[in-house]
Amino acid sequence: MKPMKPMLALLCAVQLCAVATLEAAPLSITLPPETAVFKASELPGYALAQQKCSTCHSADYINFQPPGMSLAQWTGEAGKMQKVYGAPISDQDVTVIGAYLAATYGSAQVSDAEVQTASYPLKAEPAPGAKVDAMALLQNNACLSCHALDHKVVGPAYRDVAARYANDAQAQAKVALHIQQGGAGKWGNIPMPPFTQLSQEDLQAMAAFILQQ
Amino acid sequence: MFRFIGNNHLGRRQVLRDAIALAVAASPLASLAKAAEANPEEVTFAAGPRPLVQYPQKRPLTLVTTRPPHLETPFAVFNEGPITANDAFFVRYHLADFPTSIDPDSYRLTVKGSVGTPLSLSLDELKALAEPVEVVAVNQCSGNSRGFSMPRVFGAQLGNGSMGNARWLGVPLKAVLEKAGVGAQAQQVTFRGLDKPVLPSTPSFIKALDISHAMNGEPMIAWSMNGTDLPFLNGYPIRLVVPGYFGTYWVKHLSEIEVLDHTFDGFFMAKGYQVPDNDCFCISPGTTAAKTRPISRLPVRSFITSVQAGAVLPLNSGVLLKGIAFDGGAGVDKVEVSIDGGARWYRAALGEDLGRFSFREWTLPITFSHKGAMQLMVRATNAAGETQPMKADWNPGGYRRHVVETTHVTVA
Repeated sequence: MKPMKPMLALLCAVQLCAVATLEAAPLSITLPPETAVFKASELPGYALAQQKCSTCHSADYINFQPPGMSLAQWTGEAGKMQKVYGAPISDQDVTVIGAYLAATYGSAQVSDAEVQTASYPLKAEPAPGAKVDAMALLQNNACLSCHALDHKVVGPAYRDVAARYANDAQAQAKVALHIQQGGAGKWGNIPMPPFTQLSQEDLQAMAAFILQQ
Repeated sequence: MFRFIGNNHLGRRQVLRDAIALAVAASPLASLAKAAEANPEEVTFAAGPRPLVQYPQKRPLTLVTTRPPHLETPFAVFNEGPITANDAFFVRYHLADFPTSIDPDSYRLTVKGSVGTPLSLSLDELKALAEPVEVVAVNQCSGNSRGFSMPRVFGAQLGNGSMGNARWLGVPLKAVLEKAGVGAQAQQVTFRGLDKPVLPSTPSFIKALDISHAMNGEPMIAWSMNGTDLPFLNGYPIRLVVPGYFGTYWVKHLSEIEVLDHTFDGFFMAKGYQVPDNDCFCISPGTTAAKTRPISRLPVRSFITSVQAGAVLPLNSGVLLKGIAFDGGAGVDKVEVSIDGGARWYRAALGEDLGRFSFREWTLPITFSHKGAMQLMVRATNAAGETQPMKADWNPGGYRRHVVETTHVTVA
């Protein structure tokens, strides 16, 4: 067996009291922190994969897949997540994520024409000066697959978030930061992925909207 | 396979690597060996060598995935004996939303559907429902060894550590169903546990057995594993045990049983865990199966556990080879070992019989009389006459691998 790595030794120390063994008491465990991350890429599918794939599984599900899979194979896999496992991704997301995965973990190259085409579908630019629509932002960033305004889905109801921060003068800044950085443990076991690609303007608009619920 | 024992002595390491290269250069495993050469710690699971990680109630296990957790038993554990220790037993969840705290006092198992009397049983009521029964049985992942599929397939990239053998104690499923009273029209029984999908759009993990199987006395609802409570990550406080069947049916944190008057068509039965419906459950890569069916019984398998790939074994002095064999319930009848790549086979002695669903240990004393690279192979045959193929068959899910395993060693 291989010698223990320093990281492992640290985990062991942290986990010494992980298991409650009191008689007739609930059995509780603490799972180790999630450390796997997606491989960085300049492709837009990188941010999308971080947000959407991470909702249901850790990045090591992808990191350990066989090398050399093609663009068609990785896009097929992303499509399977959408169609079979109900991932909250559009058809366009499937091609963008597939291109990122194939270029990052598979046989494709970022410069491949197919990867570029898949990654940058033609999109109507918003009119300059258009007002930020918070509800559209929540929809387009898949927030609403885990949150609802008035009831818990995976994450808390926005109404409950608003209630928790009702008397906090820093509420908007804090909520905006939580959206940007993601987090775990504040509302339950399922971590929220970070949404690092959102602009400050969008983050503030979303936070303000959530706190009005 | 192709795992090198940790060793800082570079000289020996290089010797081992050269030996492997020689041994497999001309074998069908040459491509795998080439991959191993690029990454001498492991077969090429893309992110590199998989770390050992520490989870609650477990010794360090090999990481497959973090969330939902999937951990493998380090292969050396299987040489410790025919029973896999609870703290070494592999862990596999499909869905990430499962509780991390379970109160045994308020736990309930419900039985509903096409039954005379729906039940909501406490753990005490369940344990008192019938005389407890015990079985030693192998729980093996459908995808155990998927990482060795060639060509490679998507899915959890498993080595050979997603299996384990334990002594399970519980009540027969049959007794629970009889207590509820099964309707005359019943066709299947479904099982679900406390593990749930993160998103409501993801299919629930529900498995089904035919009513005849559910009532044949073999499937069990177990609360004890090797004489103690189930570890949390192995399904505390109760799980379904389906001796002879792949682990996908062994629903953890079992919470709901439903009797159906039809065939269950949920995702994890009708679409997931499907194998080609033919004699070998296999197809040629690149082709599509005409028909598929849910995976079911374990094929006969065997491993050498006392020698790891790359080992250097002594010339002209006795070596006791040791390993395990198992199958889906016919029982292991015969284990044979070859040290010359499959030309001649020697019959191994079988160890204690712990039951037809258990690992069966085997041993064979061997004296090597020639120097050089050797291919050690092991092949089991069960009481039904089924044996292992010399060449791996293939299916798109990378399921039920059972090829004759080859361990490359050097005699020096």
